Amino acid sequence: MFAEHFAQALTPLNIVFALFGVAAGTIIGSIPGLTATMAVAVLVPLTFTLDPASALILLGAIYTGAIYGGAYSAILLNTPGTPSAIATTFDGYPMAKRGDGDLAVTISCLASVVGGLVGAAFLLTLSPPLSEVALAFGPVEYFWLAIFGLSLISALSAGALAKGLMGAALGLLLSCIGVAEISADVRLTFGSQTMIGGIEVVSALIGLYCIPVLIDLVATPDRHLKVETEARGFRLAEALRLVWREKVNLIRSSVIGTVVGILPGAGGSVAGLVSYSEARRTAKPGQEYGKGEPGGIMATESANNATVGGGFIPTLVLGIPGTPPDAVILGALLVQGIRTGPQLFEAQGSIVYTFIAGLFLATALMLPVGLLIGRYAYKTIVTLPKALLVPSVAFMTIIGSYAIRNSVSDVMIMIVLGTLGWVLSRAGIAASPIVLGIILGPIAEQGFVQAWTIGSATGDLWGMFFGRPISLGIIAFTLVSLFYPLMKGRFARWRMRHAD
Amino acid sequence: MQTEQTDRLDSRGIAAAAVFVLAGAVALWDTTSYSDVDSAVFPRTVAIGLIVFSVSYIVYAFIRRGRRVQPSGGSSARRVALVAVMLGAVAAMPWIGFILSGLAAFFCLTLAAMYDPWTRGRMVLYPLVGAVIVIGFFALFRYGFLVPLPEGRLF
Repeated sequence: MFAEHFAQALTPLNIVFALFGVAAGTIIGSIPGLTATMAVAVLVPLTFTLDPASALILLGAIYTGAIYGGAYSAILLNTPGTPSAIATTFDGYPMAKRGDGDLAVTISCLASVVGGLVGAAFLLTLSPPLSEVALAFGPVEYFWLAIFGLSLISALSAGALAKGLMGAALGLLLSCIGVAEISADVRLTFGSQTMIGGIEVVSALIGLYCIPVLIDLVATPDRHLKVETEARGFRLAEALRLVWREKVNLIRSSVIGTVVGILPGAGGSVAGLVSYSEARRTAKPGQEYGKGEPGGIMATESANNATVGGGFIPTLVLGIPGTPPDAVILGALLVQGIRTGPQLFEAQGSIVYTFIAGLFLATALMLPVGLLIGRYAYKTIVTLPKALLVPSVAFMTIIGSYAIRNSVSDVMIMIVLGTLGWVLSRAGIAASPIVLGIILGPIAEQGFVQAWTIGSATGDLWGMFFGRPISLGIIAFTLVSLFYPLMKGRFARWRMRHAD
Repeated sequence: MQTEQTDRLDSRGIAAAAVFVLAGAVALWDTTSYSDVDSAVFPRTVAIGLIVFSVSYIVYAFIRRGRRVQPSGGSSARRVALVAVMLGAVAAMPWIGFILSGLAAFFCLTLAAMYDPWTRGRMVLYPLVGAVIVIGFFALFRYGFLVPLPEGRLF
């Protein structure tokens, strides 16, 4: 039956739509500031006149491509094109700095394809039971999930955990600026109109990652990235060998990405961070995460692309969008006359299965499209003279951060935060913990306050936070993730002493 | 590029931690003005955390002198110019419009980032490339993504 729908998805017109969608999504996603949500939202009117299956294939392809596109600027500019590519910067940029940017881009493409296929496979086979996972997560689970994401600080601030914690606390505090979501109090603005809208996550991301790079780039005549004298192509065989070596990491991260994608509001950034944390925790001796380890890129990129399929599970089965782009696609579904819900797979199975087949198709097409665009992106960034690269990237940061909310204030905040990030980096405080705090702050606060209120009302605050099985599982993972590097180091030293 | 030196007091880290303590105290003071306790509980917890972590680091830095991050060299004037040009362009945007402020910023940043000698070819090519990028992105965002980019108030 699925083969029949797959054949329907494989019409020449649908293949053209999928190709266009993946290419457009990839290019939009690669521009810092343009998120997957924006890519889908901007192109959604194109689909209104198409038949439902073609429209959904196009939207799925744009979404898939945009999530992958964020990896280019993360690897080549140290600026995640989309929030879901934050953890790609941790190892992608160091790889590019040492002259392996082409390999990093190819690895990210392969990992994205694997993640996308795993997510789509879950969507096809296990949608109804998996959608129940979304319902099992309450506010307190979201709170602990955010704390789990924050536990990555221990990995990002090797040798300076106190500074990492300081940075994360600052990020959490910055996330509180503006109007409180729960009770609408104006917080930490000190009367400034610029601050009343709060700190926009993507603007902060662009500022904290990109501005320090630009500040250092402009200060010296050194090249941005190492230029290789000989052409090395896609380095596909080398990338495939590395991917095969990391197959467990890849599959685990894809499953994590799918599950996190199912949870409404969590999204690709949380999926990428949690997968990265797990990949690092289970690293083999000699693997140095954060210093250009290909496994880090694979974990993040497979997880964030798996959220595409994962996010569609509650969207289609429950009508609850898993991620912000899913919300836009949900709107497009309604325009097409498709009613989401538990009966969707039976009532309008033909359209849904063709759409899922289209998602497989779009993900597979990402391989040639992504490799080709990635190669040209790498070549352009490497060979562009500094006098053109610096203003081009600076200009993109300005227009990108403006476009999110059409706000000049966001651009100002982006530049100020970026400069602050550079100053703090001089004091040994990295940008990543601050960014983690800003991204996870709203999720943590909402979960914390709601759980606090429910716990207080029921008179069981302790049980609310520490008495639910899923919460306990996440807490256990958080503790392991936080203390594992410390314990591992101590154990290694103890073994060395005893070996002597 | 950062290098590490040993047996030195991390004065930059201590200064940053001291500023964080101040920021935490200001945030704590701000939470006293909220009308709803739900608005205050999270920032208050975080502010206390920020103060505790920062004070702990200051104590740690004095007790255990060790790693200190030293900034790399490079032109401070060019660094300041980059930030100033970007801030200036954004401040000018509502007055002279997006295209003019974008073009001005692009050309100023080209000057700030230029290390190669100016040849006749570069003098023609670089401004041309700048104009194409600024106008191209303006058109893409304005007409492709329908982003209402600022128009100048002056003209």
